[in-house]
Amino acid sequence: MTPSDLDAPPDAGKAEATAPEQNRKSAAPPKGKPIIELVNVTKTYVRGKEPLTVLDGLNLTIEEGAFEALMGPSGSGKSTLLNLIAGLDRPTSGKAVVAGNDIGSMSDGALAKFRARHIGFIFQSYNLMPVLTAVENVELPLLLTKLPAAERRKRAQTALRVVGLEDRMDHYPRQLSGGQEQRVAIARAIVTDPTILVCDEPTGDLDRKSADDILALLTKLNTDFKKTILMVTHDPAAAERATITRHLNKGKLE
Amino acid sequence: MIKLFLIAARNLKRSWFRTIFTIAGAAVALIAFIMLRTVLWSWNAVSEYAAQDRLATRHKVTMIMPLPKRYAEDIRAVPGVKQVAFMNWFGAKIPTAPDEFFASLAVESNTFFDVWDEMVVSPEDKARWLADKKGAIVGHVLAKKMGWKVGDKIVLEGTIYPGDWEFNISGIYKASRKSVDDSEFIFHWDYLNDSAPAEMKDQIGFISIRVTDTSRSAEIAQAIDRMFDERDVQTATMSERAMNLSFMAGFSALLTALDVVSIIILGIMLLILGNTIAMGVRERTKEYAVLRAIGFEPWHVRFFVIAEAAALGILSGAVGVGIAYPFVNHFVGRAIEENMGAMFPYFRVEPTTAALAFVIALGLAAVASLLPSIQAGRVSVTDALRRVG
Ligand SMILES: Nc1ncnc2c1ncn2[C@@H]1O[C@H](COP(=O)(O)OP(=O)(O)OP(=O)(O)O)[C@@H](O)[C@H]1O
Ligand SMILES: [Mg+2]
Repeated sequence: MTPSDLDAPPDAGKAEATAPEQNRKSAAPPKGKPIIELVNVTKTYVRGKEPLTVLDGLNLTIEEGAFEALMGPSGSGKSTLLNLIAGLDRPTSGKAVVAGNDIGSMSDGALAKFRARHIGFIFQSYNLMPVLTAVENVELPLLLTKLPAAERRKRAQTALRVVGLEDRMDHYPRQLSGGQEQRVAIARAIVTDPTILVCDEPTGDLDRKSADDILALLTKLNTDFKKTILMVTHDPAAAERATITRHLNKGKLE
Repeated sequence: MIKLFLIAARNLKRSWFRTIFTIAGAAVALIAFIMLRTVLWSWNAVSEYAAQDRLATRHKVTMIMPLPKRYAEDIRAVPGVKQVAFMNWFGAKIPTAPDEFFASLAVESNTFFDVWDEMVVSPEDKARWLADKKGAIVGHVLAKKMGWKVGDKIVLEGTIYPGDWEFNISGIYKASRKSVDDSEFIFHWDYLNDSAPAEMKDQIGFISIRVTDTSRSAEIAQAIDRMFDERDVQTATMSERAMNLSFMAGFSALLTALDVVSIIILGIMLLILGNTIAMGVRERTKEYAVLRAIGFEPWHVRFFVIAEAAALGILSGAVGVGIAYPFVNHFVGRAIEENMGAMFPYFRVEPTTAALAFVIALGLAAVASLLPSIQAGRVSVTDALRRVG
């Protein structure tokens, strides 16, 4: 996704967009090359004397363009798995390759650059900077690029338009509803045109209506902008939106 | 970078109350610091700015014992001496304002304003003074304070030379040098001598000497003292600066104490700033974690913390200096110069002191933010994000 993609109506004359969608709601997973590959991944925390194995020999392949939901009881390791894929953490053992990067072997600095380049984060509690306006929040990740200020601002505005907040650009987070805040957070996640969107309970703090709006938006980002989306959720209605739903229990995928 | 700084600075808006109290606290400390530094500076200025080419000869044993008057003539003959003026401490009280303290001197009329040429008197005032035996030239600060004008007749009460003494105000002087008191009362030595009791006649307190060549000051001082070695009264001659320094040496413990207190004040300021910065960092831990998740690196986060602190330091410095500068220079400094002119003839915040204070405010804020910034840079992103959800 580039700004020009965002500017143009998503499906205007685009081969991929006009091509028949792979039956998204069907059981058959979308065909594509794997973008996330976990092989025998283990994550163990050592708190006190007893080691706690949170992820236990996990194997997982996610294809480019997928929209996957991850469910499971509290404490089952969903966030841990998500953080690992997002390059916030490294596996204790096993191999995790995301967008061609071997997470386990990368330095902190390389991981930071990997996150900036490939990952868009969407959190349950939005996590916007309260002192910045919507458009400034969205612009934040672009400060890491060499883009000139005018270009940064233009891209941030474009991203806000995609999430339908073109009339709220100069509002501060406290002047927005929860659903609007989450949409600003989504705009911030997509503004750098990342490969993968990771969402940890993106609708957890929202009412049904706002949650549905956010899910519709995520679906649009998946279908129209071809973002690979990995979403942790407790909400079965949210998981409905995904093409694949996986269940994690006691550190194992079922 | 600038963008990041501006964003960081905006965090100060978050808790207006805390920001204002911190800035106020730091500014008050800074004002105290500036005042103390100014006391120390002014004290030093007296000797720093003292004339290099002026010597003073006094009784070898102590300042308060007199010299024979003919010594002045003897000194005039020493090679390298340009001009000589002898004088006596008078010691006067104003009957209507007995608490007013000011220096009063009976001086050798013809030469005094040549030796003390930084006490600037207009030719008319000087001519009027020389023509009037009871005439007096008064510092402009003292004259203004007492409401004296040229032509006024006044009476002073002598403390060293008892009795009521009549004077006519002949003129006003203004000092052209920071080390010179603007509140002195100068009158004719002959007037004093003629009316002094017999046992106090023809005696002089000390002799001011102007030399032709500054670099030979020490040599000339020695020559003068050697000349009187064999006489019944021996002398001590030193440069004006040396004399001021020897006077100040008596206060060195006090000055050291002021020095230490000014450092302690900076310590307090450091704590005030450090506390606020540490509090801010603790509250913003999650935001820093979000920044890290987005791809910012630990040094960005450290920069963020230091930038916020620097903004706080700049504001504190601006407020502190902005208040202290006019406050001291227009109110406190003026009051001190008027009331304690003999000790602090010039009490003003120097631009260098103000600049130093501003830099210190900024520097302390940066130092105070060092530890919090390192902590913020080390935050574990996953832990911080998990804390609230
Ligand atoms: N840094 C850590 N140190 C020790 N234990 C940890 C750490 N991070 C996570 N854990 C533990 O790992 C387990 C899984 O945590 P995780 O956050 O992945 O669960 P989750 O499935 O996301 O749960 P929830 O639905 O409540 O968000 C928990 O028991 C948690 O206490
Ligand atoms: Mg979780």
